[in-house]
Amino acid sequence: MSPKLINTIACFALVVVLGGAGPAHAQDAKTPYPSMAPLDQYLMTDRDAEIALARSAAPESISRDAKILVLGRHGYETAAEGKNGFVCVVERAWGAPSDHPEFWNPKVRAPICLNPPAARSVLPLTIKRTEWVLAGLSKAQIMDNLKTALDRKEVPPFEAGAMSYMMSKQAYLTDEDGHNMAHLMIYTPLTDAAAWGANLPGSPVIAASDPLDRLTVFLIPVGQWSDGTTAHMDAH
Amino acid sequence: MNRKMIERMLRTFALAIALSLLCPAQAQDSGPLYERMAPIDQYLMTDPNTEIAFARTAAPESISRDAEVLVLGRHGYETAVKGKNGWVCIVERSWMAPFDDPEFLNPDQRLPLCLNPPAARTHLPLTFKTTELALAGQSKTQMFDSIKAAYDKKELPLPEAGSMCYMTSKQQYFSRKVGNADPHLMFWFPKTDDMFWGAAASDSPVDVHQYSPQPITEFDISVSKWSDGTDAPRDQH
Repeated sequence: MSPKLINTIACFALVVVLGGAGPAHAQDAKTPYPSMAPLDQYLMTDRDAEIALARSAAPESISRDAKILVLGRHGYETAAEGKNGFVCVVERAWGAPSDHPEFWNPKVRAPICLNPPAARSVLPLTIKRTEWVLAGLSKAQIMDNLKTALDRKEVPPFEAGAMSYMMSKQAYLTDEDGHNMAHLMIYTPLTDAAAWGANLPGSPVIAASDPLDRLTVFLIPVGQWSDGTTAHMDAH
Repeated sequence: MNRKMIERMLRTFALAIALSLLCPAQAQDSGPLYERMAPIDQYLMTDPNTEIAFARTAAPESISRDAEVLVLGRHGYETAVKGKNGWVCIVERSWMAPFDDPEFLNPDQRLPLCLNPPAARTHLPLTFKTTELALAGQSKTQMFDSIKAAYDKKELPLPEAGSMCYMTSKQQYFSRKVGNADPHLMFWFPKTDDMFWGAAASDSPVDVHQYSPQPITEFDISVSKWSDGTDAPRDQH
């Protein structure tokens, strides 16, 4: 797996889940998706297919009892109530930084199952951002709204132990080669990557921080897809 | 039960009978393995430089080269190298395993860890305390009671948020059962349930260890490479 793809996935993992402005690495890149595509391109026509895709983010033993959200025309809607506190959802591309070339990529499908602390304290940012996108707000307005929501504590405070599974073999995270990587994500308040030895030569941990969201995501590749088949996990 | 399993059981059974016939006295005298502390020398490493190098193998060199390194002496751990990055690398011994581990006093165990700063602050005090009790010759029951009392009196800290460590040494040795296991990261939390990280679920890539009397939950995530960059065999667990 190329370092470029790893970086893209790490960047996407951060921003899809958290929203906000990430590293400005893409400023000089071409913008293949200059504006939002017609909404229908982001929606999945088959609700059952979206539910199944969301569940594929984690092993069935976790996702079968998870709450499932699907994307409607005005935001995420509950498609199935859960019993174990996990929430599974297929996230879309607009979680990327506003200058990310794939911010409006309608092909992106990022299934994720969040554990209870992440469902309570990280997912609300994704839900809010999605509502703003679907309401037609500009990128700048979305970023401003996010900052305001955090400043005014309109989103729940971060909970320790927040983490998520992204192990769907069917995920499409980026146009980069491979498009995908099985991994877990662990969230912390804004933290130096070095505190977990991330992004250092030979380290299996990848980190991305976003001051706007005040969170750091640590990404750890795992060796299997949610269906139990082997996944490559050569992060470096 | 399939034929392979039956054949394996029969071979094992036959071997056990043969051994008991050959060595009847030994079979009667020997109790369960590792019930008592072995002579302290068996837990020590004779060359401090070897132990320093071994401790550093717990994490990639980019982390461990600037870490503080501790080595085990006759009275506890001693600082062998000062660090610069807040990490601490150490070779833990068998008594850091759960108390119900059958190899709790296995003198062959060598478990190199590199702990990040929060773990160095809040996990190492447990390592020091447990080691002190073991080296003082306390029984397993006494150690259990002492550790429980220390937590009850808040003399030992709970894991600080973000406490984690690397165990990616190719030379690590856990037990006769799992050998050097696999390279992994460990994350410590104040006692929580297995499903907090989905670890109780089948096919989850997260393992869990619930400690007692320590009010600690440990989640483990396997990684693909040893600290030297070489690939680890898959599916060792």
